[in-house]
Amino acid sequence: MKRGDRITGVVILAAVALVIVFWIVVHRTPGTLAVVRVDGKVVATVNLTSPEVQTLRITGVLGPMVIVADGKGSVRVTESTCPDQICVRTIPARSPGDQIICVPNRMVITVEGKGTGIDALTQ
Amino acid sequence: MRKAIAPIVALIVAGAGLAAFFALRTSPEPVTSTYFLMDTVLTVKTTGGDAATINEHLHALASDVDSMTSYYNAESQTVRVNAAAGKGPVSVSPEYAALLKTAVAVEAIDQGRTFDIAISPVSSLWGFTTKDFRVPSAKEISDTLAYSHSDQLVLSDTTVQLRDSRSRIDLGGIAKGYSLDIMEEYLLTVTPQPQQVIVDFGGNLLLYSGGRKHDWKIGIRDPRGQGIIGYVRSGDAFVATSGDYQRYFERDGKRYCHIIDPSTGYPGTLNQSATVITDIQPMHGAIGDALGKVFFCSPAKAQRSLFQTVAGQGVVGVVIVDATETQSTLGPINFVPTAAQ
Repeated sequence: MKRGDRITGVVILAAVALVIVFWIVVHRTPGTLAVVRVDGKVVATVNLTSPEVQTLRITGVLGPMVIVADGKGSVRVTESTCPDQICVRTIPARSPGDQIICVPNRMVITVEGKGTGIDALTQ
Repeated sequence: MRKAIAPIVALIVAGAGLAAFFALRTSPEPVTSTYFLMDTVLTVKTTGGDAATINEHLHALASDVDSMTSYYNAESQTVRVNAAAGKGPVSVSPEYAALLKTAVAVEAIDQGRTFDIAISPVSSLWGFTTKDFRVPSAKEISDTLAYSHSDQLVLSDTTVQLRDSRSRIDLGGIAKGYSLDIMEEYLLTVTPQPQQVIVDFGGNLLLYSGGRKHDWKIGIRDPRGQGIIGYVRSGDAFVATSGDYQRYFERDGKRYCHIIDPSTGYPGTLNQSATVITDIQPMHGAIGDALGKVFFCSPAKAQRSLFQTVAGQGVVGVVIVDATETQSTLGPINFVPTAAQ
């Protein structure tokens, strides 16, 4: 093998590596994020990959609510000023697409991020 | 050495070009809008076309259906029909009459044993209309059940009548699916056509890609655990799930869900969830929504024979999680359970 061929080989590998690195940078999976909206407006975001327990106090349309991220990737509503408490009883949200909804407070928590690869969730 | 430089440059340029191609090969950004109505959330995600305008229009259409069908809104046709119960026929719009006929046709598939728009006095007894929950006595239930079936309904093309003054109808079990029908009808007329529209109306879905024949992956919520039990692959479709895990109350450790089995007057306990997938045809959103309750309130054996009945009527498939958390499917659908992934 000639010296030139060897260089060409190395360069091909380098170019392939460059493309792969670029691909990963462009398509990297974002950290899983819980987005809290009230009446369609984002009022808070929680990084679910953080190992810390995070407590959020937000104000829904009806009144105060408490949202807790457990530091293990899940988020849930622990307190809400709503009559039916559906949001408090909803299973903690964890996977992209999971939602916790409080209709009286017009509050929606949506877990965002790539991972499950599904287009929509029926429930 | 000099000879080797040309291919090096060529490769770097090619590599950078390739990387740029993949980076820029993204479709238009989807526009997601969230609205609150019918005591739930409507989320619309539109990609391509005049997405923001489409979302607003879809919300307006759903609001129109809400104004027409609401059990609570004093102006709705449902409230007018209920207020005139036992008094005589009420004039209704042709659309409203057609929706009631569709509802009654789904009830007839199973002689009203598993879906009944006139069950609402029993739902009220359990507190589901006021959210003041309680467990009624067996006698209260049987007394109320006597006038809580659609045999109290007299329908014509322009009028509706409830025979008994205590009877009431509630279209909550079909109105969301019907809204998806109206939305799909509108989407067909939009120019320029959006590439994709995903409508999530309280967990009922419309998946629209026009002529693009997108291969959708539709996740099905795990009724007890977190995440999904799996996903179904499908072309454009309506998807409706009836489950016991969102609207329910508990007394003495027992779960009472909001879907009342019309044959007993008690909340359904046979299944945890039933997901019905219907093809994109007029009224199949409404039919799928109502059939969700039919399958939810049916035992496994009846589900199989019911599926034979509805398979030719646009129902593509059904995914069921029964009370023992056993999953099953009906129809030639491609269901991929999470455990198998």
